[in-house]
Amino acid sequence: MKKKVSYGLLFIGIIILIISVWSLLKPSDTVDFSADIKPILNKNCITCHGGVKKSGGFSLLFEEEAFADTESGGPAIIPGNAAKSPFIQRLKEDDPELRMPYKKSKLSKEDIELLTKWVDQGAKWGKHWAYTLPEKVEVPKAAQSAGISSGDAQGFIKNDIDHFILRTLENNGLEPSPPAEQNVLARRLSLDITGLPPDDSLFNDFTTGKITYENMVDELLSRDAYGEKWASWWLDHARYADTKGYEKDMGRTMWRYRDWVIKALNNDMPFDRFTIEQLAGDLLPDPSVDQLIATAFHRNTMNNDEGGTEDEEFRVASVIDRVNTTFEVWQSTTIGCVQCHSHTYDPFKNREYYNLMAFFNNTRDEDTSEDEPNLRFYSGEQQEEVDRIYQWIAKNENREVAKAYYNFLQYSEPIYHAHLAKDYTNGNLADTKWLALRDNGSCYLPDVHTQGADHIYLKYSSSIDGTKVTIRKDNAQGEILSQFTTNRTKGREIQKFPFKRTDDKINLYIEADNDRISPKSATSYISWFAFLPEIKAGDNSGYSQIDDSFMKLLNSNTPTLPIIIENPDYQKRATQVFERGNWLMKTDTVEPATPQSLNAWNDAWPKNRLGLSKWLVSKENPLTARTLVNRVWQQIYGRGIVASLEDMGSQSDPPSHPELLDWLALRFMNEHNWSIKALVKDIVMSGTYRQSSKNNARLYNLDPENLLYARGPRIRLGAEQIRDQALAVSGLLSTKMYGPSVMPPQPEGIWQTVYNGGNWVESQGEDKYRKAVYTYLKRTSPYPSFLTFDAGSREVSTVRRTVTNTPLQALVTLNDPVYLETAYHLAKFMAQGSNVDNSIRHGYRKAVLADISDEKLNVLKELYNTSLSDFREKPKNIKEFIPFETGTDANLAALTVVANAIMNLDEFLTKS
Amino acid sequence: MNSLDRLIKEKLQREIQARTRRHFIKDCVAGMGGLAMGSFFMSCNSFLGNNEKGKIALTERDVNPLASMAPPFPAKVKSVIYLHMAGAPSQLEMFDYKPALQKLDGQVTPQSMLEGKKFAFIRGTPKLLGPQAEFKQHGESGNWVSNFLPHFSKVVDEVAFLKAVNTDQFNHGPAQLFMHTGSPRLGRPSIGSWVTYGLGSENQNLPGFVVLTSGGKTPDAGKSVWGSGFLPSVYQGVQCRSKGDPVLYIDDPKGIARNLKKSTIDAINNINKKEFDEYSDPEILARINQYEMAYRMQTAVPEVMNINNEPEHIKEMYGVRPGKESFANNCLLARKLVEDGVRFVQLFDWGWDSHGTGHDTAIDLGLRNKCTEIDRPMSALLLDLKQRGLLDETLVVWGGEFGRTPMQENREGQEMAYKGRDHHGDAFTMWMAGGGIKKGASWGITDEIGFSALEGQVSVHDVHATMMHLLGFDHEQFTFDFQGRPFRLTDVEGHVIHEILA
Repeated sequence: MKKKVSYGLLFIGIIILIISVWSLLKPSDTVDFSADIKPILNKNCITCHGGVKKSGGFSLLFEEEAFADTESGGPAIIPGNAAKSPFIQRLKEDDPELRMPYKKSKLSKEDIELLTKWVDQGAKWGKHWAYTLPEKVEVPKAAQSAGISSGDAQGFIKNDIDHFILRTLENNGLEPSPPAEQNVLARRLSLDITGLPPDDSLFNDFTTGKITYENMVDELLSRDAYGEKWASWWLDHARYADTKGYEKDMGRTMWRYRDWVIKALNNDMPFDRFTIEQLAGDLLPDPSVDQLIATAFHRNTMNNDEGGTEDEEFRVASVIDRVNTTFEVWQSTTIGCVQCHSHTYDPFKNREYYNLMAFFNNTRDEDTSEDEPNLRFYSGEQQEEVDRIYQWIAKNENREVAKAYYNFLQYSEPIYHAHLAKDYTNGNLADTKWLALRDNGSCYLPDVHTQGADHIYLKYSSSIDGTKVTIRKDNAQGEILSQFTTNRTKGREIQKFPFKRTDDKINLYIEADNDRISPKSATSYISWFAFLPEIKAGDNSGYSQIDDSFMKLLNSNTPTLPIIIENPDYQKRATQVFERGNWLMKTDTVEPATPQSLNAWNDAWPKNRLGLSKWLVSKENPLTARTLVNRVWQQIYGRGIVASLEDMGSQSDPPSHPELLDWLALRFMNEHNWSIKALVKDIVMSGTYRQSSKNNARLYNLDPENLLYARGPRIRLGAEQIRDQALAVSGLLSTKMYGPSVMPPQPEGIWQTVYNGGNWVESQGEDKYRKAVYTYLKRTSPYPSFLTFDAGSREVSTVRRTVTNTPLQALVTLNDPVYLETAYHLAKFMAQGSNVDNSIRHGYRKAVLADISDEKLNVLKELYNTSLSDFREKPKNIKEFIPFETGTDANLAALTVVANAIMNLDEFLTKS
Repeated sequence: MNSLDRLIKEKLQREIQARTRRHFIKDCVAGMGGLAMGSFFMSCNSFLGNNEKGKIALTERDVNPLASMAPPFPAKVKSVIYLHMAGAPSQLEMFDYKPALQKLDGQVTPQSMLEGKKFAFIRGTPKLLGPQAEFKQHGESGNWVSNFLPHFSKVVDEVAFLKAVNTDQFNHGPAQLFMHTGSPRLGRPSIGSWVTYGLGSENQNLPGFVVLTSGGKTPDAGKSVWGSGFLPSVYQGVQCRSKGDPVLYIDDPKGIARNLKKSTIDAINNINKKEFDEYSDPEILARINQYEMAYRMQTAVPEVMNINNEPEHIKEMYGVRPGKESFANNCLLARKLVEDGVRFVQLFDWGWDSHGTGHDTAIDLGLRNKCTEIDRPMSALLLDLKQRGLLDETLVVWGGEFGRTPMQENREGQEMAYKGRDHHGDAFTMWMAGGGIKKGASWGITDEIGFSALEGQVSVHDVHATMMHLLGFDHEQFTFDFQGRPFRLTDVEGHVIHEILA
């Protein structure tokens, strides 16, 4: 017996030995750089040996750096020989002065073992997952899924997404939740796709089985409200607002861009085109007006009108913002750090930032107070005139010249801004905006290419007659190029004066003389100068009419929109590397180029924004499609597959379902041809999406954030949806689309800024009840209730709103007059009920699309009764509570209190 | 290890770390004990939802993001009152005494001083402008204070001066952002948000971070100076106004009595509780908590914002102006707020941009009036905190977003009718008072005309590091992960200014 036991023990011992030897030798034991090593390096080493510092001449950021000789002579890592590698030796040192990480506690045994193994296995470098995209991802169908106990997944799998989800659930010993109830699902779907609860007929058609779930999905995707809902999401990316930001925060007319986004989404413009038009619409051949409007994406950068600020500093700030925004929006990459030093964790070099900046550094906008270039919108009649001018010049001169005049009418570029002038005598850049010369004043406008023009165009204002302006070549003694008199103007006018033809790049020396005015007053305030190609056919019949018409149109008042226009070659700026990110310390000149660690450049692409946008939407780009699908997923589930939406770099949260992310990205590009609607449809058609969102303690404790998707999404509605839903269920919501932003009621005294504030002029009629996406957004003072519900101020791009739960939110939905008005209108609907019970039932059902339980009904009935007796006791409270309506009785007032309570329920504010 | 496993492991680790500093709600009733709603959580079973066994492990912060937490290191102070003089007050007329500048008054500025310098409005070669105030040494410390601040000169021994603070921003908006968020560009959390995020609030009936502005106006840089940046917006500053609702929508609608609002919130929370039973979503518990807090705030905020009940001698001490959103009123409110456990009180005052473009911005006229406006209230604030024993646990910080030039402004290259000074960030004065501050200290010396620092130059980041230190944080360790990297208030810079610490 005893012997048997010891044999048995021996046997077990041998088994253990075999298992452990096997586990040491098994091939899968290869250490993976991205998964195992990079996180250790990022956490412990890279701060001192990376993009910012390279202590001891050793850096672990790039492969070539890691294996290079360090300050001590040899390399720190000797592939295949951990024992000889100082990189490993230093981790094990006892002397704290020598041990790494320096002055920190020793790495864990496991970490040291991993690093040792990695070096011994040859120290293979690897690329972070996000920087390559696989060609194909297999859907983990049947084979794996067959293992689950039958029945559990029955009915769960609705499309391929579910196979990915189910596999992970199985691996974690979890099962999917049952499907959500029909009414819950209908509300969830409608809110996700259109931002609104479903209307009665759609809801009834679906819940009674008249239409299928897919029918409902298709119907919702085809509604205008889809574009309005998803526009809010994209406008966060685009940092769209109705003001310029910074100190003065003056208004600017941007709404045509907002409307462009809504239309593009509703038309399901493929995301590649959507990208190209916004980043480079102006560089497309013969861009349409819509394509020019799209470029306003990057004109949403702020513009500083604060006195004493230098336009060039804030022009550079805008360009930097465009680089950072482009990379955050399309590449889930925070490139901003690379401005000052190589990226700390990710493979982007300092210089590469400026290569990217070179793409964006050649646009005409220069932080001027008028926000030029502005696209002008002519009336139909005016547009006919514009076309006539084009035709005349094209016929009598040529198309190229005609195009120059046409463009000048469209957006008045290229121009030379007043702020370029230098070396003032008796003059200055007045209010840091206008070139202002006093009597006997002069200044230089450097590096001007007149392109052989025979006229100079001037935009200026003056309250003084008879100023003699002389423009000379290069200096006070130079040849006179133009001499003319400026007089009192009506506001700012554009005028032209004859100019001596010259093809050289010259400095304009500008003099002004007017001895009839005080030496302290300015002769005029000039905004800009411009030159247009000569029309040699000026003698042809009809020219003078064309010329008159041209000047008249230039001086006409039209609506405008700031857009992006590229510099002509002769105005191109060189892009220089800023030393440690300081725009005043310029060093090497660089050319446009994309980061080496990402997809290769195709030489067929132009080296400008158009090429860059093609590079972004190239199917080789590993980040664009992943970024987009991840963000759309987040809109629906409340969390991305990569939770850090703004970053997919090596420090990002690892993807919860990496294969699913890749599969969605590939499908989005290759099968759906970049259709966002098709992507949304895939996601909402899945069984994963249709699960019940009911949680339980076991599920919560295993997976509090629903990383595994064992239940459906349950998230508080966004700021816009909370308002729109309240207006919708109360019947107040206006469905009017597009147009200038509106100003619904907000408390007095919100708009108080130090200097210029503008006024909040409350909108009237249906404009009071427009969807939230149309609400005027002043950056320094956004609509307060949206801010409270986590909408941003759109000063910079926001790819993710943090959802919070605060008492101030409760105050909004309880007390904001907007919500009281909606409660009152819901109460009026409720009052049609035959008795109190029915009234409450109807109101509850209208709001949350569910039948009320008796328990809840009793609670609300009690509230009704309390309110009713309160209002009966103090009838004058009724009028105070509902000031906007006469003849309200205690019943209606009490129902309003109940409606207000219903519209504050968690189930109303949340998508279940 | 696959990525999901790691994700879950990391998350668990993070949570464990977080929980060592918080406490579990062990007993659900006790956990929600501060709430009247506690009655809903009759037993743990109901807290856990339907028929499930086991507890949902929640931290206090899960249901209340403002739950108070202890700092990682022993703190010297519990709360902060930050007095910001927006527009940038002239150090040369208040604290930085420069007799040599008086002698050079009216002389042309040497070219060597102007080289490589950028100014907002000065063009060409400006003239030097001597101090427009008279200075004396005061108190035992013998620190210099001008005759523009007669009251403050009596409490000068309570404060520690920083005479050579440096900022690289010389426009108001960016400089204010830098001063309050550690970055001149938008998107970072303000100091008050960091502090409230790190420490929560001691009073669950009031916002943890309150902003009071003279005249109710927003600073140049907009509300971002008290924004929460990438931190959850629950930590952003709440602007309390003394006109209209003190906090937006805090007043019940007319015709709704308090008891009816109570019934409404009880009904909402009662139904939400049933919703929780069904969905077991902790967000519902948090919402119940927030509705309770909203109800309490509705009483507590108007109460604390009402200064009428303060005794006459206190009102007189501050020089309050009833019904106005004055700096004096705000100073008194600041005391009331920290007394009630508010973590961070931010004051903004206007009119300090003394360019000399008119009477109000003249260095010898308008600035003097501005000094008179703040002199009594800010001195009273220090004394009042002290007499209540609060000064030892409060940090009071005073300063602008930058300082002003020793040169007289010559806007557009021309001599101006009034005396003014342009923006200047190379060396300006701030002061701090309260717990952990070395009383009567002065650190930093500027050159003989007050243009550059000679010794003890400190940066905005250093000021932040010092504030964090006093609150019990190591500014290098106190981070928040965003965009794939840990962010901190002081970015990659900042040193604690030990010279002004007790």
